[in-house]
Amino acid sequence: MKITFWGVRGSIPAPGPETVRYGGNTLCIELRTANEELVIIDAGTGLAQLGNALLPSGFGKGQGKAAMMLSHAHMDHIQGFPFFAPIYIPGNQFTIYGREKAPGRLEAIFEGQMNPHFSPVHSLKNLGADFEFESLHQQTSNEACGLTVRCLTVPHGSTTALAFRFTEAGRTLCVATDAGYPEAAIADEVIEFFRGADVLVHDCTYTPEDQAERRNRGFSSIAEAAQVATRAGVGHLVMIHYDQDYSDDQVDSLRDRCREMLDQAGGKDILLTASQEGMTLEV
Amino acid sequence: MRIKFWGVRGSIPVPGKTTIRYGGNTSCMQVLPQDGTILIVDAGTGIRKLGKELMQGRCGRGEGDIHLLISHTHWDHIQGLPFFAPSYREGNKITVYARGRDDAHLNVVLKSATQDPYFPIPFDDVQAEAAYRELTEGESFDIGACRVQCTRLNHPWIALGYRIQEGDKAVMYVSDTAPFSDVLLEHDFISSPPQPGDLPLPDQAQKLVQMEEDLVALCRGGDVLVYDTMFTEDEYRQRPHWGHSAPAHAVDIARRAGVGRLVLFHHAPNRNDEEVDEILADIRKRAPDLEITAAAEMAELEI
Repeated sequence: MKITFWGVRGSIPAPGPETVRYGGNTLCIELRTANEELVIIDAGTGLAQLGNALLPSGFGKGQGKAAMMLSHAHMDHIQGFPFFAPIYIPGNQFTIYGREKAPGRLEAIFEGQMNPHFSPVHSLKNLGADFEFESLHQQTSNEACGLTVRCLTVPHGSTTALAFRFTEAGRTLCVATDAGYPEAAIADEVIEFFRGADVLVHDCTYTPEDQAERRNRGFSSIAEAAQVATRAGVGHLVMIHYDQDYSDDQVDSLRDRCREMLDQAGGKDILLTASQEGMTLEV
Repeated sequence: MRIKFWGVRGSIPVPGKTTIRYGGNTSCMQVLPQDGTILIVDAGTGIRKLGKELMQGRCGRGEGDIHLLISHTHWDHIQGLPFFAPSYREGNKITVYARGRDDAHLNVVLKSATQDPYFPIPFDDVQAEAAYRELTEGESFDIGACRVQCTRLNHPWIALGYRIQEGDKAVMYVSDTAPFSDVLLEHDFISSPPQPGDLPLPDQAQKLVQMEEDLVALCRGGDVLVYDTMFTEDEYRQRPHWGHSAPAHAVDIARRAGVGRLVLFHHAPNRNDEEVDEILADIRKRAPDLEITAAAEMAELEI
C-alpha cells in the first residue's frame, strides 16, 4: 500500500502564508493498493486537489473507479466532494462507504450537502458519475479493492468517528483522523485495534495544553497519539488533523514534542512523521 | 467608512503557495462604518479570522452587536459561520439577514447546515443570541448609521446584492451574479448552457431587464462596487448557467451606475495569484475610466 496526503488540516481549511508547508486543506488521503486500485479516505477540501490530479488518468475519460471511505460526515471530511472533478464525468464509478447502518442514510448525507440551498448542483442525480453507497460492518471484516478493511467506532466529541485498519499482503495501515478519548483512559479495545500496525495515521490536533481547554471538541493531543502508538506497538506514527490555528512552525514543534513523548514512553524505535500535503508514504 | 476583505475566493477555499497574495478563503467582507457598527457581508471561511479579531474587542466581553448580511446560502458564503468565535460568547448578539424564501426559513436553513451529521453545534444553539431578518428584494432598512438596500441577482436559487451607505459614502456588494442577457437563473436546475442563438423566453427576458435595471439603480452614485468576477469572458460563454460574471460585465454595470471604483471579487478557485494579476491588468487597460483593483485578503479600502 502507498498513501498520499491531500489534506491534513482539521475542522476548517486554513489558507495563508503560515500554513503553506504542511498545507491548509481539510482531510483527504489517497490510498493505492498493490494493484494501483484507489481508495480515498475522507473527502475534505484536499479531495478537490486529488480530483484535478486524477483527470489525466482514466478518471478524465469516464473510466475511473474508486472506493471512498468516510470516517464521519463532519464538514471537514466531506466539503471537498462537490469540487471533486471526476464525479461530473459520466462513466466514473464510486462506491462510498460509511458507518451509517443504512446505506440510504449515507446517501442522504451527500444529498443534503447538494441541496439547492447550499449547492447549485441541487442533487446527486445531477452528477455524471455512478454512485453506490455501502455500510461498513463494524463487527466483521469488509473487503474493498482487494483490501481487508476493519473499522472501530471511536469517541469524537458529541458523536463518534470510524477508525480504519487496512491490510494487504501482511502489511497494515491504521487511520484514525478524529479521536477524542475519555480523559480517564484509552480503552484496551482501541489499543488492540491498532496493535502492530506498520503505519498508524493518528489525530494529533492539539498540544496537551490546548486540548485541556477544549477536551469537549473530541480530538486527540500528541500525548494521546504517542501513548496509543507506544501501547499498540506500531512501527510508524504519522500525525494528522492539525488545528486550524496552528502555523507551520507550531506543527514543527508539535512534531518535536511528540518525538520526545514517544521516546519517554519507550517508543524510541517508532518512526514519527508529521504528514503534509503532497507527501507520499509506503506502508 | 472603510471595507476590509477577509475572504475573496469563490466556490471552495484554496490554501497553498499559489494563492497567498490574494488569499484562499471564501467570501467575507467587513464594512467598518464610522459609527463603529459591526457589519459583515457573507460568512465564507474568511469570517474565522475576522471573528478572532473581533474577540479582541467588544465581542470578547460578550458585548458585541453583530450584523451579518448573507448574499445567499451556498456553502462558500456560509461555511465559516460555525467557526465564528463571537457566536460562542454569551452576551453577543448576531443578527443574520438574507432573502426570505417560501420554502424554508433562514434559521432552519442555517441550522440544517450546522447540525448533525455536518457539525456538532446547530447555529440555533450557540451561546450568542441569534436573530434572523428575512429580506424582500428591493427593501431598505437601517443598521446603526448605515442605510442598507438590497436587490435581486441572477444566480441559481437567487442571491441578493447589497448597498451599504453611511452619510454620503456607499459600497455595493454584488456577489454572486451572472450578467442579465443569456439565461434567467431562479429555482430550476439548468444542466447545460443555452444553445447559440437561443434567447430567453419573453417573460424571462423581461425579468432579466428588470433585474439589471434594479441593480444599476441600487449602485447609482455609489463609491465602490465589489463584484463577482469569477469568470473570464471565455469561461462565461461556456458556463452562462452557473451564475457568475466576468470583469467586463462588472465594468458595464459600474459605468451605467456612474460608480468610479470597481473591486474584482469572488476569484475562481483555480486562479493563481499571477492569473488574477493578469485579469486585473487586462481590464484596467480596457476600462481606463475606472479605478479597478482585485480584492485581496486583509486588504482595506477607504471609501
